[in-house]
Amino acid sequence: MGFLGVFLPSFGIDPAAGSEDFTFTAWKQLFHAAEFWSGLSLSLFVGVVSTALSYWIATSLVIACFGSRWFDRLNTFIAPILSIPHVAISIGLIFLISPSGWLVRWFSPWLTGFERPPNWLIVQDPQGWSMILALVMKETPYLVFAMMAALSQLDARSRIQTAKILGHSTISAWHGTLLGPLYRLVRLPIMIVLAFSMTVVDVAMIIGPNTPSTLAVTLLRWFNDPSLILRGQASAAAIVLAGSVVVMMLLWEACYFIYDKLRKYVTLSGDGITYAEPLTWFGALVGSGVFLLTALTLMVLPIWAFAHRWRFPDTWPSLFSLNTISRLGQRLFELSLSSLSLALVSGFLALLISLVLLERERCFLQSKLVTTMMLFTVLMPQITLLFGIQVGLLWVGWNGNWWSVLLLHLIYVLPYVYLTLKAPYLAFDERILQQANLLKNSPIKNYLLIKLPLLKVSLSAAFALGFAVSMAQYLPTIMSGEGRINTLTTEAVARASSGDRKLVSSLALIQAFLPLICFYLATVVPKHWTTWRVALRRKFC
Amino acid sequence: MLTLENVYIARDHAPIIAPVSETINAGEVLALMGASGVGKSSLLAYLSGTLPSGLTGHGEVTLDHLTIQDLPIEKRQLGLLQQSPLLFNHLTVEENLLFAYKSPESRFLRKKDIRSKLVEIGLEGLEHQLPQHLSGGQQARLALLRTLLAKPKALLLDEPFSKLDHSLRIEMRELVLDAIQKTQVPTILVTHDQEDADVMATRVYNLRPI
Repeated sequence: MGFLGVFLPSFGIDPAAGSEDFTFTAWKQLFHAAEFWSGLSLSLFVGVVSTALSYWIATSLVIACFGSRWFDRLNTFIAPILSIPHVAISIGLIFLISPSGWLVRWFSPWLTGFERPPNWLIVQDPQGWSMILALVMKETPYLVFAMMAALSQLDARSRIQTAKILGHSTISAWHGTLLGPLYRLVRLPIMIVLAFSMTVVDVAMIIGPNTPSTLAVTLLRWFNDPSLILRGQASAAAIVLAGSVVVMMLLWEACYFIYDKLRKYVTLSGDGITYAEPLTWFGALVGSGVFLLTALTLMVLPIWAFAHRWRFPDTWPSLFSLNTISRLGQRLFELSLSSLSLALVSGFLALLISLVLLERERCFLQSKLVTTMMLFTVLMPQITLLFGIQVGLLWVGWNGNWWSVLLLHLIYVLPYVYLTLKAPYLAFDERILQQANLLKNSPIKNYLLIKLPLLKVSLSAAFALGFAVSMAQYLPTIMSGEGRINTLTTEAVARASSGDRKLVSSLALIQAFLPLICFYLATVVPKHWTTWRVALRRKFC
Repeated sequence: MLTLENVYIARDHAPIIAPVSETINAGEVLALMGASGVGKSSLLAYLSGTLPSGLTGHGEVTLDHLTIQDLPIEKRQLGLLQQSPLLFNHLTVEENLLFAYKSPESRFLRKKDIRSKLVEIGLEGLEHQLPQHLSGGQQARLALLRTLLAKPKALLLDEPFSKLDHSLRIEMRELVLDAIQKTQVPTILVTHDQEDADVMATRVYNLRPI
């Protein structure tokens, strides 16, 4: 339905705009629009470069840390970053690297001589490098996380040891025995990163270039044009964006295929691989820098939120206060409540639907249809699908209320919850439940009291991910909320360019804080739940 | 010549085996025997540099007068054959062998050499197969050939025949013995099986716990 909703208007069939004649006008308009070509090339550049950099850095970090105590530390460090929305990272990054940001303040005026912020175009630069940096900061931990999970399936330690005993260096061993099989296991996360980076709207609006913008932002503007003239052109651009994602995925795969062949050839040559060593260590060094930048980004948010007076070039605010938070307390509370209610309900519903779908898969044929649908939703550009869905919602007159926003959040929360839960749910040893049913013939009660509690760690992890995904949703909220439903994310994006750093940092801080709390609870509570429950029972019985 | 000088394994600084001092000359096979769990495999892991965390190895190990216990794994020039063949399943038979066959010779010559060696061990025509499609015996022979192609200066055999059935075991023992005699490398064989020791070993060393 989502795709039809942009496909038909791109050929002039748009009953909402009063047009029902088949024409190519929208396509002709699109191909003559200079903004389209510059936006498309920018989207392709940002998407491919940020994905390639994230993959290189993530691989280098995993190689450098594997087998050392840093490997576990890396895991501990990246897990919370995964739950923090892109918007919060982007806003924090602006406060860090902009000409009046924290980094310049550190070195001013004693080293730089700046008494006023320099006139540098660092953020929202025309080439999109600051946007690439924001994406790399958020996507690298995701890829490291995916690689760590994949390595546990590959018996990595013995592969490396065997290769080393055969005379290969660590790097050569990785290239020869692990990186190929590892890539096959992390292909999906890489494709998700590529599709996301090419089509993301909120990050591009905050830190991306605006003269011109990326294609996703440009076509959002066309869609929102009150005259409706640009609607057909926007629909055509949405199709082109979806098509370019598919083309870039195929191109990426083709490039990787050639690279893999070359790597295999070099690895199997007489000397093994040697060129990659400095590149890997440099990648790990860059990765450490990216993590440091992320940590600073998250530190600068509370500083701005609680700063009362912070003049340039002071390194620290001259006065801290709770003024901003208390001045905006009511508004922040309403926005937090709105975000929380959507995240909790969509996370819970997604969990419920996933359980039904997975139980159905377990009992009957394991169909690939559900997984394919979920992957399609994750990989297709949000902007393409959502416009189509919005057109559908307008046709049935069901837009602009809390329920329609919830529905759109659910569409994006469900795939992540389902895909996270799938492996642990299907791996559950059903003999335990069978035994319970033999002892007590009440299958539903046994399912709820035996199976689900045994899966509580996976269930809460999936819920926390769903919660974080909902908290981060920008497009679904503005498109189905029509400005009547606001969340921390929509407000943060809208205010990002307002210049009110205290307000924006407060919004970003709460937006980052809520998923972090949920993630922490989901990690800690299920692990200790049984111990606490037994201890309580002992105390009171 | 492989020499072990007061070599022992410790857990939390407490030795778990009595120190071993032995010299294994070229072409000799020292069978390392002892009760299950005494630390035979850990001793081999110390020699090869693959000792798991929690255990520490002590004592000097020299190979052709070069002290190797502090060298990185890849510089020790040892070959290790274990129960599991540990083949790389994403590489074909030929690629598994090419990976180990480091030599300045051209790829063409190395491939030619590999083909003739595959014929010698009865794996002719299987060069483009993936290892998981081979039988257990074929995999064991491939693992042996791969180890030998890396041109180790000493061989460590950690119960390499224990997963094979009786007839394959006899066949593999002959192949390995033949390879040791041809290459004249000093070898340590860890085994539970007295027959393995009787057939292969020049000497037997009984490892004692502390």
